[in-house]
Parts: sequence; C-alpha cells; structure tokens
Amino acid sequence: MWMRTVRWAAILGFLPLMHASVAEPSDWVPVRWPWQDAKSLELLADSPVNCLLLKSYPAELVSAAADKGLVTLAVLSPGGDLAAAARKALAAKVTGIVLEGDFPEGAAAGVRDAAPGATVIELTSRSRMPLGSKAAVLGTYQGVWPGISLLDDGVKKAGPTGSTWIDTNTGFIRAVRAWGETTLWIANEPTPKTVVTGARYQQVIADAAMSGARWVIALDTDFAARLHGREADALSDWRRMAAMVRYFEQHPEWRHMQESGQLAVVQDPGKGGLLSGGILDMIAVKHTPVRPVPRQQLSPAALSGATMAVNVDGESLTPEQREILRNFTRGGGTLLTGPPGWKDQSHGDTITLDKAELERLNDIWRDVNSMVGRRNLGVRLFNVASMLSNFIASGDGKTAIVHLVNYADYPVEDIAVHFLGDYKHATLITPEGTEKKLEIYQAEDGGGVDIDKVGVCATIRLER
Amino acid sequence: MTRREWIATITAAPLLKAAPAPDAPAAPVSIAKCASYDEDITAKLAAMFDQLGGLERLVRNKTVTVKLNLTGAPSQRVRGIAPALTHYTHPKLVGAAAYLMGRAGAKRVNFVESAWATAGPLEDVMLDAGWNVRSLQSAFSGVEFENTNALGKGKRYARLKVPENPYMYPAYDLNHAYEDTDVFVSMAKLKNHATCGVTLSLKNCFGTIPASIYGDSAGVNEPNESPTDGRSAVGHEGKRQPSKSAPQELHFGVNHDPGYRVPHIVADVVAARPIHLAIIDGVESIAGGEGPWIRGVRIVKPGLLIAGLNPVCTDAVSAAAMGYNPRATRGTAPFQTCDNTLLLAEGHGVGTTDLKRIEVRGVSIEQALYRYDS
Repeated sequence: MWMRTVRWAAILGFLPLMHASVAEPSDWVPVRWPWQDAKSLELLADSPVNCLLLKSYPAELVSAAADKGLVTLAVLSPGGDLAAAARKALAAKVTGIVLEGDFPEGAAAGVRDAAPGATVIELTSRSRMPLGSKAAVLGTYQGVWPGISLLDDGVKKAGPTGSTWIDTNTGFIRAVRAWGETTLWIANEPTPKTVVTGARYQQVIADAAMSGARWVIALDTDFAARLHGREADALSDWRRMAAMVRYFEQHPEWRHMQESGQLAVVQDPGKGGLLSGGILDMIAVKHTPVRPVPRQQLSPAALSGATMAVNVDGESLTPEQREILRNFTRGGGTLLTGPPGWKDQSHGDTITLDKAELERLNDIWRDVNSMVGRRNLGVRLFNVASMLSNFIASGDGKTAIVHLVNYADYPVEDIAVHFLGDYKHATLITPEGTEKKLEIYQAEDGGGVDIDKVGVCATIRLER
Repeated sequence: MTRREWIATITAAPLLKAAPAPDAPAAPVSIAKCASYDEDITAKLAAMFDQLGGLERLVRNKTVTVKLNLTGAPSQRVRGIAPALTHYTHPKLVGAAAYLMGRAGAKRVNFVESAWATAGPLEDVMLDAGWNVRSLQSAFSGVEFENTNALGKGKRYARLKVPENPYMYPAYDLNHAYEDTDVFVSMAKLKNHATCGVTLSLKNCFGTIPASIYGDSAGVNEPNESPTDGRSAVGHEGKRQPSKSAPQELHFGVNHDPGYRVPHIVADVVAARPIHLAIIDGVESIAGGEGPWIRGVRIVKPGLLIAGLNPVCTDAVSAAAMGYNPRATRGTAPFQTCDNTLLLAEGHGVGTTDLKRIEVRGVSIEQALYRYDS
C-alpha cells in the first residue's frame, strides 16, 4: 500500500512540470470530449476551449492535446478501484482528474493527499458542493437544461410569475457565487436521445456565463456524430458555440463583478438556495435584479445598497441576524419575511421543486411580486419575455453590465432598458462582434437605451 | 362563387331571420390597400380620412380618446412574432393617427386600453410589446396614454348609461377617459374572436370595462385598484356581479353563455359610449382567434386599412372584407357559437349592418376581400 502511494505520488509529482504551459484551473474552458482520435482536436483550432474531459484517454489523444497546449482531465465515476483508475489515468499523462458523481466520504481527499501536484476537480450533486472551500474549481453534474419551458402539448408554460417560464441555472449559480468568488462549472448534459439545436447550445453556454459560471460543453450524440463527420451545418453551429464561449472569455472582468441591484434575498443555500425554479429564478423571470445573500453571511455590508430584502425563512435566523434585518428596516429598507410557519426546506439531491412545492412557494412569491411591483431596483427591461438578464457591477460602481440571454428560437427586437443611476456612456456588445454606442435618453427613474435586436445574447455596458 | 357573386349574396342577406333596422344610421366606410407596415401608413390614413369628409371637422380643438386593441399580455406571442404583427394594433398606425390628429388641430390625443391584468402605466405595456413610446410621443405634443383598467389618472369612475333597453347592465362604470373626451375612436385589429366571431371596432370596446370593477379580482363592494386578472367571472360567465359600487347585472344568474353575454355587453357599451371614428388595422393580423392563447390561430396578411364614422357600418364592411356575412346569425360563420355583436348593436340603433346602405369609398369590398375562413 505504501509503495503504491509512493508510485502514485511520483507520477503525479511530474504533472505540473509536464504541463507548465497550460493555464490555471480558473482559466480552463471545459468540454466533454466525445472522441478518441487525435484528428478530432482539429475542431479546437481557434477555439477558446482548452480543457478536455475524457472518459477514455488514449495516449495518442492525450499527447496530441498536450502538444496543442490543451488540458486533459480524466473523468472518474463512483464504483470500482478509484486509486487504480486514477493511477491509470495519470500514467496516460493527463493533466488532472475529475471525480464525477457522489463518492464515499473521503474519496476525493484520498486522491488529493496521494497526489498533491495534480488538480482534482469534483463534480458533485449540488447539495454536496463544498461551498466556500478553496477548491480550484467548484462543480456539479446537476443542472436544468435551460430554455423556455413547454407543456406536453407544446404550449408555453406560464410559471408562478405569470410570465413565460424559463428553465435556468442562473439562480443556482448566483447562490453559489454569493458565497465568494469561485470558478464554477456546471456539467449537466443534454437529455439522452434528444437533438439539441445550435441556438440551444449557445443559450446553455450563455445561461451559465452570464452569471459567472462555465458550462462544461457536452454534445448530444447526433450533433457529435455530425460534427465528427465535419458536416457543414454542424461545423457552423460549433463555430457559433465557440464564438459564444469566446465572447465571455474575452471579458474576464465580468466574472469578477458582483450581482447588483437593490433587492437582496436572504436564503440558506443548504435549503432552497441551490434549487432551480425557486425564488431567485422567479425573480429573474420578472427581470428584477437580485442579490442572493447566504443566511450564514448576512451582515450589514451584505445589505449595503439594498432598499428591499426578502428573508425567505424568517425562523431560521439567529437573534444577531434578526437584529441586522431590524436595523435594515430602521434605515429605511423594506423587508419581506416568509409567512409564519413557512419553512425553506432541504431538498436532498433534487434540484427542482415539484408542483406542490411551487404552490407553497407561491405564498411568498405573491408578496415579493407585490412588494417589487414595477419599481426599478437597478434596471428595468421591456419586451424581454423570452429572455433572462443579469445586472452586475464593478466594485467601484463605475461600470455596470446588463447581460441579456434570449431563450427563444428567434431574435427579439425593440428592447428597452431603463436603469437607475447617472451613467454617461452605454455600449452594446454582442458575440457577433458588435460594439456600438447607444444613445442614452431620460427615462422615468434615470436613463434608458433602446436595442434594435438581440439574437442569443447581448450585453450593455454602462459607464459613469 | 366569384367575389362579385359573394357580395351580391351577402348584400341580399337571404340567411337573415330579421330584416335590417331601417332607421339605424349609416355612414360611409373607407378601405385602403396597404401591403405592409413599411408603406406610407400616414399618407394612406390621411387619404382615408379625406374620403370620410376630413379629420379636421371631427377633431379640431377637441380632446380625442383612442381605444387601442392590445389584447392579452404583451409577453404572449404567436410564434414569437411582435404582437403588433399579429393581434395588437400596430404602433405605426397609432403614430400615424396621432400625427394626423395633431395636424388636424386636436388639443389632446389620449391613447387608452385596459391592459391585461394590471393597473400599471400603459407605456410599460407598450414597451413590453416592443413599441417605441418616445417615438409615439414625438408624433404630436398632445399625445397621452392611460391604462383604463382601473381608476388611472381620474378621481372617480364615469358612469355611462345605456340609452334604451339595455341588454345586460343599465350602465357601466368606466375610467374617466371615456367620459372626459369630445371624440371617441376605436382602433381595432381585423381578426377573429373565439367568443364573438370577430374582433373589430365594436368588440374592441369590451376592453373599456375596467378589471378593477368587472375583473375576477374586483372587490365585492368597491373597485380593486390593483387588478391581477381578466373579466371571465363577471363578463364572460356571469358567475359573479361586478363590484357593488357599479350598476349590477339586470338578470344575474339567467345566462352563463359567453357567446351570449359578451356580444350583448359589447352592444350595451357601444351604445353607452358612442364611437365617432372606427379604424381597423388589417395590414397583418391573425385568423382563428383573437390572440396566441387560442389554439390554431393563423397569421394572415390581408393588407387592408378600414375606417369609418359609424362603428357598426365599419364593422359590417370589415366583416364582409373578411369573407363573412355581417348579418349572419348564430350558427353561421363566424358566429357559430355566439350572437352577432353587429346585429345587437344595430338593435340598439348604433348603426346599420345593411351593406346596401353603406357607401364604401376607396377600394371596394370585392377588391379588398380576404377570406379568413380559407
């Protein structure tokens, strides 16, 4: 056993030297690589994708990837001899290990202890993510497939907000990142036996990226086959996907900005905070900027700049935390607390709410909706029913960003954006390469700009 | 059947059980072809107003209220298309009307609608529909907007009485905008309606009744100034009375058929609140229903603008242009499951549905014919 550990450590110890040229984990742009031939790597020419997740790792592929400066990560799943699997992967000279799934307690630590030089990334269920840890990358294999939700008969589903409902991971991503700046991967895969359009892939990439995470690109079987066969349509979609990824990677500053706006939601991530379709997503569908505040991190500073706060589960607060919220209201803030007896519940390994739970959540949602009304809490968006947005700002408050992601299969035209604050310049930026100054006009609460058309994604940069 | 034969058929009206009201007023109707909203809508509308005797004599030094047709929430789309290209009146037509009314000397032009499930500003709804509100405001300095789904900018509701023999309610409590005006315009879409057969200038006025009083969430005693839904329970189904502050339904509980109730309410409303000018947007529209929530609606491009000084006459010509007999009775398209609002309004003496008595100016009905039931 001891010798095995030494051998393992020796192998792993070389890794940083072998791949000294590759970027830091925080810069890795991941894809689940479905092919084993080195020629497939030609698809990454001029692509921002630089990190391959491999379920099998033939030497030819790994070597060719290394020559191109690509990171290779062996994906290990629960079951079998984990140590042996890791040794085999590292012997094939991959850069690091991805542990995907929910492993027994201590399994990941065992790998890390034995291989201090290798990067080990855990893709766990949401509920097992080590929030606030120093992990190089925080990740989960669980996610909803973003898009406009349809009923069985193809009719668009109206959510509790009364708006078109959009399935999204943004609320979850915001909740995780509220614990502190982290590199977050969301590694859900297309539903088996489904065909995903090129536009949908772009939407999924943007859904994660607009809130500061990276989707681990995963191709459906049909698309992978067509792409491997270099079919023109598939190549075109692949290039568009790369353009979407590049768009966000070219703006690393966006990832370091903070959720902005005047509405704070105090919620326990261990309970409803990491769910999709919960209160954060409901507010997002209403296009109200929202800042999640983990209950454990509730402080006066966390509420700075907020004018409204929602305390989802009032009974879970400590006396000190209650006092912070009391002071918030004494200072003029409006506080909404969940109904008496309303409990934000833990959901184990499920990531969405069932119908009964949604109806329960409606109790608090109705009050939130009424409290927010048509107030501008940072930015108000019009004609964006098929879109979600994110409003973030730099630490000095001089720059604000409004990301727009369109989940419809058609472009949206004639969008109006009304924002609070005295911004002097507004610029429209798009993945297609647009960078256009927008005329700022006076709107009800501050300034406004109009956007002619948005395909899948666009960003408005506001500068004071 | 040729177009000419069809017109001859509906003019003779052999299906009618009742003869046209001989004394119901008649007024000319203008039809113009307009293939797209990129054409010069302002010029076309100006020509149509001239054909009707000129806009100036109608609006000079007057306050004008224009009831738009913004059915349902702006987020609801037919195949993702902007509502103005399917089931909302188009902002270019709105802007053209504002400009022409301003040029003709109107003091104020107040664009109104009882927006779906909200008492918020109408401008928000327009923005959510992708309209450029600033552009509309720049059409004429007297342009205003008001959401009439509740009290709005008024201090009290206006009580408008149905002059004679009301069908459903003796009077209706409406937003002040419908009373504080010299000229009332109904600007509707040329489209079908699932409950009433057609949505034209008459049916458009069902949207004058505020959800604060007639909505599902209306207060029992007093209006609810924050309505959150539509008017099914009161208007369509007769499951409840409006707020007690308003005149109550005359024969409450007798009839719960929306196909009876809504046409009768509409006929009451247009008798209580006379329409001076009807403008129908048939450039691009939908057939098969009034909005995307109706299963099976189809996008159509009739390429028509229709206007007239009498709403019943205008709707009769519009219905004919859609390929319908404007005097068809219940059971005949487009009134398969409802009463004919046009005939009910005619019964109130609002106007005639008799095409033989209506002078059509500009393009003829035969030339304009675009069959909605294709």
